[in-house]
Amino acid sequence: MTEDATLALVAAAGVDDLDVEILGRLAALVDAADPVPEGLVESIGLALTMEVLHAELAELHLVGEPALAVRADETSIEAGTITFTTDVLTVMISVHHENDRVRVDGWAAPAGELVVELHHGGHVETTTSDEDGRFAFVELERGPARLVLRRASDPTMPVVTPQIEL
Amino acid sequence: MSDDLVEPVDTALRGQGEGLADQAARAVVAYRDGDRAPMAALVQVMTPLLWHTVRAQGAGTEQAQDIVQNVWLALVREIDTIRDPRATLQWTLVTAKRAAWRAVRRSREEAARTDSDEAATSWLTAPADELPDARALRDERDRVLWDHVRSLPERCRRLLGLVAMVDRPDYAVVSQALGMPVGSIGPTRGRCLAKLRVSLASDPSWSMS
Repeated sequence: MTEDATLALVAAAGVDDLDVEILGRLAALVDAADPVPEGLVESIGLALTMEVLHAELAELHLVGEPALAVRADETSIEAGTITFTTDVLTVMISVHHENDRVRVDGWAAPAGELVVELHHGGHVETTTSDEDGRFAFVELERGPARLVLRRASDPTMPVVTPQIEL
Repeated sequence: MSDDLVEPVDTALRGQGEGLADQAARAVVAYRDGDRAPMAALVQVMTPLLWHTVRAQGAGTEQAQDIVQNVWLALVREIDTIRDPRATLQWTLVTAKRAAWRAVRRSREEAARTDSDEAATSWLTAPADELPDARALRDERDRVLWDHVRSLPERCRRLLGLVAMVDRPDYAVVSQALGMPVGSIGPTRGRCLAKLRVSLASDPSWSMS
């Protein structure tokens, strides 16, 4: 049988279990060769959430030190304070680098309990501010992050900060 | 003997026919009804397929992330205009592929002017010592497979690499969305998978491993 005829015959046969095994192995190899970037799924989720909330979304504006928005020098211990503001909420955060870990302390006004989410490298950490509007995240990895703050008075209308580089 | 054993078996059997296309259809219908959880789950399982689809067109990593995100945004923005939810998987793949193709063409035009070509990806084409990471090769069989895949024509490499991202019920949809009727996989093997099988069968190190 010619090579072409063999190929046509093999091509016309049904997909079998060995084909499925081969494709399964290939999937793992392709994923390893070019993995989906960490955080992509999470940032798509956030983008879709923001799309739903489009009309109500309050994007905070940076009024503090813009230097915090750029990557800090890897070896130095950086501390910075940054303020975001909207009509309904003002948020101040300070960022401390301790070796390769990051701590974020925040304070929101007007005072009141807030659910605060930190969207960061593919996962979301959630905390609640105390009655004075204070909250903290500790032992964070470096990298881009974003805060989403939900007020008890209007939980469907979150306040979302621009992305900051921790 | 309790009847408890019956239910999981039944569920497993029903699950066999369930592919991404079905899951995507259900997510679209649920989303229109105000339930967004199935869409969030779909983003988790389908983003890898979209990622590799866009990368296979030659998009750079930054560019590819924007494109994949925009495909999802386009889907929810146009969700009320989708007449047949069962076509959702096909729609997203074609949208991703076209967007990537346009973006790559634009950046190649720019690269031609600036003499940099960072955007070009070597997806499935790089030398064996570079990709994939040696740790990803679990055994000899993986290494042999990778060598044979790399020796296939580029169109077949892409097709197999992307079809590999889904389960059997979705092979045909992925093949068709990539515009590869001759290579189309499922229910028959098609020419690309056949070429790989013939080439593996002729390699003693494959049958030995």
